[in-house]
Amino acid sequence: MLFSSQSRRSLRRIIVLQDPYVKIAVNMLNVNSHKQIRGIEMENSPKNSRRDFIKKGTRLSLLLTLGAVGGIAAKHLTGEKYVWQIDPFKCTQCGRCATSCVMSPSAVKCIHAYDLCGYCDLCGGYLKPDANQRSTAAENQLCPTAAIQRKYIEEPYFEYVIDESLCIGCAKCVKGCTSFGNGSLHLQIIQNRCLNCNECSIARLCPSEAISRVKASNPYKVKGSFTKEGKS
Amino acid sequence: MKNKGITLFLIILAVIIVTSVTFDYYFSKPDELPENPYALNINLLEKIDNSKILYTESRNFGLNFTEPSGICFSEGQFFIVGDQKMQIIDTFGKLKGEFKFDQKPTCVYVSTQNIFVGFRKSVSVLNREGLKMNEWNSFSDSSVITSLAEKSGILFVADAGKRIIRKFSLAGNPLGVIEGKTGNDQIHGFIIPSPYFDIAFNEDGELWVVNPGKHALENYTVSGDLRTWWKATSVRIEGFSGCCNPAHFAFLPDGSFVTSEKGTVRIKVYKPSGEFLGVVAAPSRFKENSAAPDLATDNEGNIYALDMDKKMIRQFVKKEK
Repeated sequence: MLFSSQSRRSLRRIIVLQDPYVKIAVNMLNVNSHKQIRGIEMENSPKNSRRDFIKKGTRLSLLLTLGAVGGIAAKHLTGEKYVWQIDPFKCTQCGRCATSCVMSPSAVKCIHAYDLCGYCDLCGGYLKPDANQRSTAAENQLCPTAAIQRKYIEEPYFEYVIDESLCIGCAKCVKGCTSFGNGSLHLQIIQNRCLNCNECSIARLCPSEAISRVKASNPYKVKGSFTKEGKS
Repeated sequence: MKNKGITLFLIILAVIIVTSVTFDYYFSKPDELPENPYALNINLLEKIDNSKILYTESRNFGLNFTEPSGICFSEGQFFIVGDQKMQIIDTFGKLKGEFKFDQKPTCVYVSTQNIFVGFRKSVSVLNREGLKMNEWNSFSDSSVITSLAEKSGILFVADAGKRIIRKFSLAGNPLGVIEGKTGNDQIHGFIIPSPYFDIAFNEDGELWVVNPGKHALENYTVSGDLRTWWKATSVRIEGFSGCCNPAHFAFLPDGSFVTSEKGTVRIKVYKPSGEFLGVVAAPSRFKENSAAPDLATDNEGNIYALDMDKKMIRQFVKKEK
């Protein structure tokens, strides 16, 4: 209901403001009338377009943000997944793959590049440096869980196979193989064991930044070109 | 009063959260974590008693190579191969000549009249001016040529891929192979787990060959018969450890062997009989996991190591008593 300024003033004069509720009602009337008058005034003033611009801008920003978030979510749902991968050429065999993985035992396992292996009797990855003899005796083995199986092939060659179920990914054999041998033993994250955490707890602590996020279509970075099918 | 209590509680909570995050951040850094319980301590193998170190590094000079691969010393000059070139350098490190190739060479041998450059599956013969005289390509696809030596007009080519030593006339005619077998009933001759297979002639004209899988040095006649050998398998300083060592060797004028090893990189000297003499360069002189340096010697008994990681020639002279 529109009131002219003259009529507002008349109202004030007429109505005796004795009852507080009447006062409130009159004030409300004044406020409403002020608002309506202000509304008309604003429509015609430059301040209206600034407020309007801000409102529109805010709506547009919200819309764009929602659109971007939706697009990213859709991309994550339909796009290629990413997994964690160890670069064996950066690995320094620090042992944290065994101690820092959220899985127990770790999702990191040692794998063997047979085409790089020398099949040596004196294997730096299998035998302790101070082993008293080259045998399968437990006191001579480097692996703390006896996960490496040594098999005689023919003189003087021996084959070394990793039992993945026993391997804890400590990299002790990798260190020995790298230091004394051809470096055919190396660590990899086994994807069907890995939980694919948003932040890999091993990656966070890796001193050589050897663990990185890669596309799931290329999950492994192995040395050599041949690892035993079905086994590490 | 009530508001003050809530505010104080929130402040204390915020302080606790910030402290926990900061504590976790600083003490979870890679270098702040506890020791690796699965560490393989090979430092003990790298510590060497100073009394066993018989040589001192007198000087070194850098090379203009990205991947040097072989060295030979002849008539006061170094012949270095690597990348896709060969450089001739004098004993002061000054470049005297450079020759380009279309592939990376793996080894070089210099005789009085010729320069033999080995590639992965071929050998090029150059004259002393660097002019290409011949090229031999009659090698297998699985060949990996790692060392060359020439005597009495016969070039011996160590092929680590096929695990044999091939013999050629200087015209390139094949003259047979040395398989390293001592008898016909042997299945395997040379045991070569990795592409390190070195050969050399000593001052007496004897052909010596490294059998790295057996940690042995073997003396063969030119016709391929095993004459004598010695081996030293041990993780101690006196022996060779790992799958395949020594990776390279050379002879001193008195017939002593100078060996270099991969894995725990070190250079040692052995008597002509194979008895351990001493250390030329301890592992601490090399980068961790570096390649075994190729070796050369001169008539004065100085030892030159081609450090492939530092890209330099390092000269070692015998310590004065």
